[in-house]
Amino acid sequence: MDLLGMRESYLRQRIMLCFNGPISRSLIEEIGNALRNYLHSQDAAPSAAMDVFAAYIEMTQNIRHYALRQGYDEEGASATVAVARNERGHYVVSAGNLVEREDGERVIATIETLRGLDKQALKQAYKQQLRQPRDAASRTGAGLGLLDIARKSSEPMEASLEPLPDGRGFLSLTAII
Amino acid sequence: MTTDLNIPGSQSTPTILGDWQSGRLAMQGDSYPENSYELFDQVIGWVERFLDRESRPLRLDLALVYLNTSSVKAMMDIFDHLEEAHLAGREIGVTWRYDPRNERIAELAEEFREDCTFPFAITPARSEA
Repeated sequence: MDLLGMRESYLRQRIMLCFNGPISRSLIEEIGNALRNYLHSQDAAPSAAMDVFAAYIEMTQNIRHYALRQGYDEEGASATVAVARNERGHYVVSAGNLVEREDGERVIATIETLRGLDKQALKQAYKQQLRQPRDAASRTGAGLGLLDIARKSSEPMEASLEPLPDGRGFLSLTAII
Repeated sequence: MTTDLNIPGSQSTPTILGDWQSGRLAMQGDSYPENSYELFDQVIGWVERFLDRESRPLRLDLALVYLNTSSVKAMMDIFDHLEEAHLAGREIGVTWRYDPRNERIAELAEEFREDCTFPFAITPARSEA
């Protein structure tokens, strides 16, 4: 196994913490805990640390909810998560997972819509989504979480969808806090 | 018959205490369970029963820290019940204490307060942590 290659890749991308594999409820908590401790040890401002943690939680819980709803097996229910720092010192939270192509395209379209909204408009959209009835909200899924991440981001979120040979896609989301 | 609520906290769920006799509901800690309604349905039920069966004031004493979006949604349901009761003449009061080093908590509390007309205090208080 090319651990040195992995290490160099992590260093190059300034990755502080990453995970790849099946993600359970308790793993989300444990990795979240490690993330918090790490941010604390780095003397991150409490508000920034909370924003990073929030982006991580919303992304990973979205992935879990989606995989459960789709009835994916362990491999399908896995996530690739990385938290890094960019060259300007901003925290970067990324998460990727397998999705049905059309679901991925819907998320890409949502992220594209959010790109055009300023902080005030994002707040309004968030409050509106919060008022959706419980059932309707759970059908539309990721809406509230994505709005929350967008509100905590210092620039528009980025999303990409890589088509896979089996017809599905790999959806990646990146938020810069 | 006692109808107190006593839910111990965990890493991802707040400590919740509902004291029926004194009409006080206290919640403190982080809240980011995967399915927040598994937790909050009991709390919402307790608030509904209290408002339904009693005519005494209800006070919420909050020291919540981080809430994921599904916990925010559940909390909004609780505040909606309080607002409705308040508009019907019930005495309601909320105090939300937060660590002044983290302004995000005050901002979160403030967004809830925007939709409420009952007394809602957002108070800086250093925690011992």
